Amino acid sequence: MSTPIEDEINKEIAEHKILIYGKGTKSAPQCGFTVETMEFFNKYGYPYELINALPSPEKREALSKMTNWPTLPKVFINGQFYGDTDVLGPMEEKGELQPLLKAAFPDQAT
Amino acid sequence: MMTFEDLSTQLQQALGDAEVSVLDRTGTMDHFTVKVISDAFEGKNLLDRHRMIYQALDAPMKDGRIHALEIQAKTKNEAQGG
Repeated sequence: MSTPIEDEINKEIAEHKILIYGKGTKSAPQCGFTVETMEFFNKYGYPYELINALPSPEKREALSKMTNWPTLPKVFINGQFYGDTDVLGPMEEKGELQPLLKAAFPDQAT
Repeated sequence: MMTFEDLSTQLQQALGDAEVSVLDRTGTMDHFTVKVISDAFEGKNLLDRHRMIYQALDAPMKDGRIHALEIQAKTKNEAQGG
Protein backbone atom coordinates (compact mmCIF):
# COMPACT_ATOMS: atom_id res chain seq x y z
CA MET A 1 0.00 0.00 0.00
CA SER A 2 1.40 3.35 -0.95
CA THR A 3 0.58 6.44 1.05
CA PRO A 4 -1.05 9.54 -0.50
CA ILE A 5 2.27 11.32 -0.43
CA GLU A 6 3.98 8.46 -2.26
CA ASP A 7 1.18 8.53 -4.83
CA GLU A 8 1.77 12.24 -5.30
CA ILE A 9 5.51 11.65 -5.79
CA ASN A 10 4.95 8.80 -8.24
CA LYS A 11 2.58 10.99 -10.23
CA GLU A 12 5.14 13.80 -10.37
CA ILE A 13 7.87 11.39 -11.44
CA ALA A 14 5.63 10.05 -14.21
CA GLU A 15 4.65 13.53 -15.40
CA HIS A 16 8.13 14.98 -15.83
CA LYS A 17 10.83 13.36 -17.96
CA ILE A 18 13.48 15.21 -16.00
CA LEU A 19 12.48 15.96 -12.45
CA ILE A 20 14.60 17.57 -9.76
CA TYR A 21 13.47 17.59 -6.16
CA GLY A 22 15.44 20.43 -4.68
CA LYS A 23 15.42 23.38 -2.37
CA GLY A 24 13.62 26.46 -3.64
CA THR A 25 12.17 27.27 -7.04
CA LYS A 26 13.66 27.88 -10.47
CA SER A 27 13.45 31.64 -10.00
CA ALA A 28 14.59 31.49 -6.37
CA PRO A 29 16.71 28.42 -5.68
CA GLN A 30 17.76 28.18 -2.05
CA CYS A 31 20.71 25.83 -2.22
CA GLY A 32 23.96 25.82 -4.13
CA PHE A 33 23.54 22.19 -5.12
CA THR A 34 20.09 22.90 -6.52
CA VAL A 35 21.55 25.70 -8.64
CA GLU A 36 24.35 23.38 -9.78
CA THR A 37 21.78 20.78 -10.82
CA MET A 38 19.72 23.32 -12.76
CA GLU A 39 22.85 24.52 -14.55
CA PHE A 40 23.76 20.95 -15.31
CA PHE A 41 20.47 20.42 -17.16
CA ASN A 42 20.27 23.93 -18.65
CA LYS A 43 23.15 23.13 -20.96
CA TYR A 44 21.25 20.22 -22.52
CA GLY A 45 18.20 22.30 -23.36
CA TYR A 46 15.66 19.63 -22.49
CA PRO A 47 12.72 20.75 -20.37
CA TYR A 48 12.95 19.86 -16.71
CA GLU A 49 10.84 20.45 -13.65
CA LEU A 50 12.12 21.57 -10.27
CA ILE A 51 9.89 20.75 -7.33
CA ASN A 52 10.59 22.47 -4.05
CA ALA A 53 10.82 19.85 -1.31
CA LEU A 54 11.51 22.36 1.45
CA PRO A 55 7.90 23.15 2.48
CA SER A 56 7.02 19.52 3.23
CA PRO A 57 9.09 17.48 5.71
CA GLU A 58 6.73 14.52 5.10
CA LYS A 59 7.53 14.62 1.42
CA ARG A 60 11.28 14.83 2.02
CA GLU A 61 11.01 11.84 4.35
CA ALA A 62 8.96 9.82 1.85
CA LEU A 63 11.38 10.69 -0.96
CA SER A 64 14.39 9.63 1.08
CA LYS A 65 12.71 6.34 1.92
CA MET A 66 11.67 5.63 -1.66
CA THR A 67 15.15 6.29 -3.04
CA ASN A 68 17.26 5.19 -0.07
CA TRP A 69 19.08 8.49 -0.56
CA PRO A 70 19.27 11.04 2.26
CA THR A 71 20.04 14.32 0.51
CA LEU A 72 18.52 16.87 -1.85
CA PRO A 73 18.59 17.45 -4.74
CA LYS A 74 17.28 14.17 -6.08
CA VAL A 75 17.08 13.70 -9.83
CA PHE A 76 14.71 11.44 -11.75
CA ILE A 77 15.08 10.86 -15.48
CA ASN A 78 12.33 9.04 -17.31
CA GLY A 79 10.94 7.70 -14.04
CA GLN A 80 14.28 6.39 -12.83
CA PHE A 81 16.27 7.73 -9.87
CA TYR A 82 19.80 8.94 -10.63
CA GLY A 83 20.94 10.58 -7.41
CA ASP A 84 22.52 13.99 -7.92
CA THR A 85 25.17 15.69 -10.04
CA ASP A 86 27.92 13.72 -8.29
CA VAL A 87 26.44 10.69 -10.03
CA LEU A 88 25.28 12.42 -13.22
CA GLY A 89 28.62 14.18 -13.80
CA PRO A 90 30.67 10.96 -14.03
CA MET A 91 27.87 9.40 -16.13
CA GLU A 92 28.12 12.35 -18.50
CA GLU A 93 31.90 11.94 -18.73
CA LYS A 94 31.47 8.30 -19.66
CA GLY A 95 28.87 9.20 -22.27
CA GLU A 96 26.14 7.32 -20.42
CA LEU A 97 23.83 10.25 -19.79
CA GLN A 98 23.28 11.51 -23.32
CA PRO A 99 21.57 8.30 -24.55
CA LEU A 100 19.33 8.34 -21.47
CA LEU A 101 18.18 11.86 -22.22
CA LYS A 102 17.69 11.05 -25.89
CA ALA A 103 15.56 8.07 -24.92
CA ALA A 104 13.52 10.27 -22.60
CA PHE A 105 12.86 12.80 -25.38
CA PRO A 106 12.66 10.76 -28.58
CA ASP A 107 10.81 13.48 -30.50
CA GLN A 108 13.34 16.24 -29.97
CA ALA A 109 16.24 16.93 -32.27
CA THR A 110 18.46 18.54 -29.60
CA MET B 1 31.70 20.14 14.61
CA MET B 2 33.21 17.45 12.48
CA THR B 3 36.95 17.35 11.95
CA PHE B 4 38.58 15.93 8.82
CA GLU B 5 39.89 13.19 11.04
CA ASP B 6 36.44 12.25 12.42
CA LEU B 7 35.12 12.09 8.90
CA SER B 8 37.95 9.94 7.59
CA THR B 9 37.80 7.63 10.59
CA GLN B 10 34.08 7.00 10.20
CA LEU B 11 34.46 6.24 6.52
CA GLN B 12 37.44 3.97 7.08
CA GLN B 13 35.58 2.06 9.77
CA ALA B 14 32.67 1.48 7.41
CA LEU B 15 34.66 0.77 4.26
CA GLY B 16 37.69 -1.08 5.54
CA ASP B 17 40.59 -0.21 3.29
CA ALA B 18 39.34 3.22 2.28
CA GLU B 19 41.69 6.04 1.34
CA VAL B 20 39.84 9.21 2.21
CA SER B 21 40.58 12.82 1.38
CA VAL B 22 38.38 15.60 2.64
CA LEU B 23 37.94 19.20 1.58
CA ASP B 24 36.07 21.94 3.41
CA ARG B 25 34.08 23.64 0.66
CA THR B 26 32.89 26.72 2.48
CA GLY B 27 35.30 27.28 5.36
CA THR B 28 32.53 26.43 7.80
CA MET B 29 33.43 22.77 8.35
CA ASP B 30 29.96 21.51 7.46
CA HIS B 31 30.05 21.49 3.64
CA PHE B 32 32.53 18.84 2.60
CA THR B 33 33.87 17.21 -0.48
CA VAL B 34 35.02 13.68 0.20
CA LYS B 35 37.06 11.58 -2.18
CA VAL B 36 36.98 7.95 -1.20
CA ILE B 37 39.04 5.21 -2.82
CA SER B 38 38.12 1.73 -1.73
CA ASP B 39 37.83 -1.73 -3.20
CA ALA B 40 34.57 -2.06 -1.27
CA PHE B 41 33.12 -0.19 -4.27
CA GLU B 42 34.10 -2.94 -6.70
CA GLY B 43 31.10 -4.09 -8.73
CA LYS B 44 28.84 -1.39 -7.31
CA ASN B 45 27.30 1.41 -9.31
CA LEU B 46 27.71 5.04 -8.31
CA LEU B 47 24.32 5.23 -6.63
CA ASP B 48 25.18 2.34 -4.33
CA ARG B 49 28.68 3.65 -3.64
CA HIS B 50 27.25 6.98 -2.56
CA ARG B 51 24.65 5.20 -0.43
CA MET B 52 27.47 3.36 1.36
CA ILE B 53 29.13 6.68 2.15
CA TYR B 54 25.89 8.29 3.30
CA GLN B 55 25.23 5.30 5.54
CA ALA B 56 28.67 5.52 7.08
CA LEU B 57 28.01 9.18 7.86
CA ASP B 58 24.36 8.78 8.83
CA ALA B 59 24.71 10.18 12.36
CA PRO B 60 26.56 13.43 11.52
CA MET B 61 24.29 14.00 8.54
CA LYS B 62 21.16 13.59 10.63
CA ASP B 63 22.30 15.81 13.49
CA GLY B 64 23.46 18.53 11.10
CA ARG B 65 27.21 18.34 11.68
CA ILE B 66 27.39 17.65 7.95
CA HIS B 67 25.15 19.98 6.01
CA ALA B 68 26.23 19.06 2.53
CA LEU B 69 28.47 16.46 1.04
CA GLU B 70 29.97 16.23 -2.40
CA ILE B 71 31.17 12.74 -3.16
CA GLN B 72 33.67 11.03 -5.41
CA ALA B 73 33.87 7.28 -4.97
CA LYS B 74 36.35 5.15 -6.87
CA THR B 75 37.93 1.75 -6.66
CA LYS B 76 41.73 1.54 -6.48
CA ASN B 77 41.84 0.50 -10.10
CA GLU B 78 39.71 3.39 -11.27
CA ALA B 79 41.72 5.85 -9.21
CA GLN B 80 44.88 4.72 -11.01
CA GLY B 81 43.14 5.40 -14.27
CA GLY B 82 42.87 1.69 -14.99
